[in-house]
Amino acid sequence: MQWMTIYKKECLESARNYKWVWVPLVFILFCIMDPLTTYYLPQILESTGGLPEGATFDMPTPPPANVFMMSISQMNTLGVLVIALITMGTIAGERKSGVAELILVKPVSYTNYVTAKWAAHISLVLLSIFVGLLASWYYVQLLFGDISFIYVLITTAFYGVYIIFVLSISLFMNTWTKVPGFVLFLTISILMILNIISSVFSHLLEWSPTKIPSYLPSLLRSGEVETDLWFASLFTIVTIVLLLFGAIQTLKRKEIV
Amino acid sequence: MITLKNITKTFDKENAVKNITFHLSPGKCVALLGPNGAGKTTTLKMIAGLMHPTSGQVELANGGSGDIRKHIGYLPQHPQFHNWMTGKEFLHYVARLSHISKQESQKLAEQLLDRVGIADAKNRKISKYSGGMKQRLGIAQAMIHKPTVLLLDEPVSALDPIGRRDVLNLMEELKQESTLLYSTHILGDAEEASDEILLMHKGAIVESGSLQEVRKRHQVDKITLRFEGNMQAYKGKIEAFPFVTHTDIQKQNIHVYVQNVHEARDVLLEHVNKEQWPLLFFEVGQTTLEDLFMKVVNEHAMDDHL
Repeated sequence: MQWMTIYKKECLESARNYKWVWVPLVFILFCIMDPLTTYYLPQILESTGGLPEGATFDMPTPPPANVFMMSISQMNTLGVLVIALITMGTIAGERKSGVAELILVKPVSYTNYVTAKWAAHISLVLLSIFVGLLASWYYVQLLFGDISFIYVLITTAFYGVYIIFVLSISLFMNTWTKVPGFVLFLTISILMILNIISSVFSHLLEWSPTKIPSYLPSLLRSGEVETDLWFASLFTIVTIVLLLFGAIQTLKRKEIV
Repeated sequence: MITLKNITKTFDKENAVKNITFHLSPGKCVALLGPNGAGKTTTLKMIAGLMHPTSGQVELANGGSGDIRKHIGYLPQHPQFHNWMTGKEFLHYVARLSHISKQESQKLAEQLLDRVGIADAKNRKISKYSGGMKQRLGIAQAMIHKPTVLLLDEPVSALDPIGRRDVLNLMEELKQESTLLYSTHILGDAEEASDEILLMHKGAIVESGSLQEVRKRHQVDKITLRFEGNMQAYKGKIEAFPFVTHTDIQKQNIHVYVQNVHEARDVLLEHVNKEQWPLLFFEVGQTTLEDLFMKVVNEHAMDDHL
């Protein structure tokens, strides 16, 4: 099957580039950074010179859910940047170098070409996020106290929807320009603009994809999925489908070379 | 096989290809000949579906509807591969993309690597391949799905003499299997491998037909002379003869294009004798395709200046 051929090739390429190793490692690093620094902050302060004489500094231990959310917000900035970095050249780079000329002159369906690449990157990124948050959960559990694993899983799943949205934007941008750096710029800019718009008009844009992370703290604490989160997720999934459709159509109309 | 109807391609208001129409008949080997920038690559890319014509159509003749790409193999001028793959992996990948079964793909990849002469390097990364090896791999990937039409963009221009010979031989073989359309700016390659030529210049087809036809149509008798001293002195005198159409001087030779070669030879020789011109070289011959090539290009270059 053609779709599987492209999917396997993408996965093999990621393996040859060691992406299956370094991307999960980077995500683990992002995710455990905050729990560890928060826990060891008193010791860190002390060893770096500490506080002025006489100053008392009473640091309350934050609740486990808050610490876990720190990992997610870390992912929301640095993680998204890494995702945009590893996907910025997937189609744009192939078109720029000229390999796309050889591939797309074969009877390759554009739908297969786009969706297989999309799926391959999702596999890599979701796996990385999963192990990253798993590591975060482990340290939160160890250092801050109990946190429900089921709730963590549900939170991760909803966060995954948002991450797929980020990936889809990057893939969509890939079909618009041949310059990978520009894809990165467009992806990040669009996410920033969306973030600003949805926080300024937050009462109007309850279902904006970029609002998903803001629903996660209460989900993590209670395990209950708010209606707004359901709708936001549904709306995000629809947007993802539209982005993919747009990417396929754009590529069809674009000249490959 | 494939018909191009009134194809025009415009880049930023400039016509790269101007209203070309031609038919590619099955089993032929056609050379798309022309100087750099004539629009050869653009034409090939439009047939391959990589570029869309601004106007006009590319049609597959044998009632073939659907994806034209199934029937086309294409070798770009500078083929690029996934450099992290080995040659064999790449061929296998491309075969699988062309809906060939797994076992068949493996077999075809091995066969083709052998056929294009890079079987020794099949398990080496493509990034380690030399230019010639990449060109061969490019040909192998173009023919892997047994296309009815093979489009090769400058298949031999970048190769060393040995590689060039190998590829020309390979093309000779491929002629038996499919229709070949290849572009070149080297006339010798066109004369050697093709049955027909399409001469392009400034985006238009200025001459086409079988090699013999074109040669015959443009063949003019010419007499080449060389004298001691300055050629210019003789030019005017020779042009005065009624049978001379025109003359030109290249290096130390004066080429005299004539209408009646027998009369011209006798008269010229007689004249040389009578006037005691210091003759060094005298040859009766005919214009070659190269003369035609140069003539066409120059004529059109002249038009542009006017």
